[in-house]
Amino acid sequence: MSSDSKSPDFIRRLAEQHGLARALELFPDAVQTAAERGLKPLGAPPAGTSRLIQPATQFDPARFEPRE
Amino acid sequence: MSDLAYLSLAKGSTLVRTRALSPLEWTRALLDRIDVLDPAYNAFIAVTAERALAEAKSAEAEIAGGRWRGPMHGVPYVAKDIFDVEGMATTCHSKLRIDHRATADAFVVRRLREAGAVLLGKVALHEFATGGPAFDLPWPPARNPWNRDLHPGGSSSGSGVALAAGMAPAALGTDTGGSVRNPATCCGIVGLKPTYGAISLGGVFPLTYSLDHVGPMTRTVEDNAILFHAMAGHDPDDPTSTQRPAADGLKDLKRGIKGLRIGVIEHFYTTDAPADPEQVRAIDAALDALRKLGAEVRPVRVSPLPLWTDCNRTIHQAESFAIHEQDVQQRPQDYASLTRNRLLPGAFIPAVKYIKAQQLRAALCREMSEALRGLDAVVTLSSLQLPCRIDDAAAVAKTYDQQARLVFNVTGTPAISVPTGFSASGVPLAMQIAGRAFDEPTVYRIAHAYGEATGWTERRPPIKMAERVLA
Repeated sequence: MSSDSKSPDFIRRLAEQHGLARALELFPDAVQTAAERGLKPLGAPPAGTSRLIQPATQFDPARFEPRE
Repeated sequence: MSDLAYLSLAKGSTLVRTRALSPLEWTRALLDRIDVLDPAYNAFIAVTAERALAEAKSAEAEIAGGRWRGPMHGVPYVAKDIFDVEGMATTCHSKLRIDHRATADAFVVRRLREAGAVLLGKVALHEFATGGPAFDLPWPPARNPWNRDLHPGGSSSGSGVALAAGMAPAALGTDTGGSVRNPATCCGIVGLKPTYGAISLGGVFPLTYSLDHVGPMTRTVEDNAILFHAMAGHDPDDPTSTQRPAADGLKDLKRGIKGLRIGVIEHFYTTDAPADPEQVRAIDAALDALRKLGAEVRPVRVSPLPLWTDCNRTIHQAESFAIHEQDVQQRPQDYASLTRNRLLPGAFIPAVKYIKAQQLRAALCREMSEALRGLDAVVTLSSLQLPCRIDDAAAVAKTYDQQARLVFNVTGTPAISVPTGFSASGVPLAMQIAGRAFDEPTVYRIAHAYGEATGWTERRPPIKMAERVLA
């Protein structure tokens, strides 16, 4: 993330987009810290991990069939 | 009274079955002890004395009539106040849930009721099973029986405290990033996070969708295996519940561990996040004990601990915010500050980060499975540091990065916390034993052999001093 993503104005706009205006008003430091944590990139996966072959989630349409 | 306070589930169950002990007498003794001690330890949110006495009386009559239901019949237990009990509030230790009333029992509560167990009450937790020991909630935080000034671990804090203080022989906990094993570690008791899907999550207020586990907490490994067996089994109403028959943790419990191959993930606590020397000395001594019992112990490597933490935390934060979004938006002031601080980051996690965390989870699961190839189990530390002061919010927040428990929430495989001794200051120390998916029997087998050889589960906290203070 660029340093802009830590600016109070950027965080305020992002927090408001997420419906956190009240939290921002009451707990501005907590929201700022939370945004920095949430936006921090994930660590690199183990060597050899492919982004293309591993589905993030599995969807099973049969699960929604009525049970006997 | 003190004899019944620390009576094990296994021994108590046998005495009840053979009618050498009345479930009513056992229940009354524990209720009396709760009455005396709980003002100092805050383990309970609600004591269900009337219900407990009625259930104990009913158990006594049934057993006298030759209708013994099984090992939990007439056995007292407590439930973390995140499990639904019909007609009671499931407060989750939160102001937001004070007016809640459950319309049905959680699956495991129903299982235990059908098994004839006696519910003593609902116990404290970290609000919504996250955050930490908070002082800005309707109920005070549970206190560590080994030292009231120290963090008792959480989030299943009341469960750990009730067991260590001799207020119950069995407790229900939940574990998303270590919440059964952390209080087990800090309170010197035994806590199992089973395989994902082995115990139903039905009727348990969720913290996340894919990392939550329900787990048994007890003072001994044998007790834990008995309670696990009573709790495990398929729940058709819980989509995460496995259809596999529940593993029998008691079958091989006393076979010993001669010839078993145990890996040790040392780099988690030596290089990735160097642990307190007392924790390290204790696990080194434990590894020696396992070797003396006939196991082959050798080091194994997986990805560094911070990567596992990153993976767990991203999924945890995104999923828990999805559950709490509306309340965090509309009434953020009603959460404890520790809880709010844990929930808010989830609002800012980009969708792509969550998806990458799920991909990372799959890679880490494969890695752990490979590491276990040719091994029966792995061992590593539970907490990397000693418990901090309960009122030091900054130190409490740091504990989330100073542990190796969340690794096994990522993999969904079974892991148990067992005591490995005590620090110079008298604080319990612990390690984890983790196995392959649905191989709780091997985990229990190793934990039991170690526990029997060392006797660490026999030590009791200095409760008598507290009783004198109270008097």
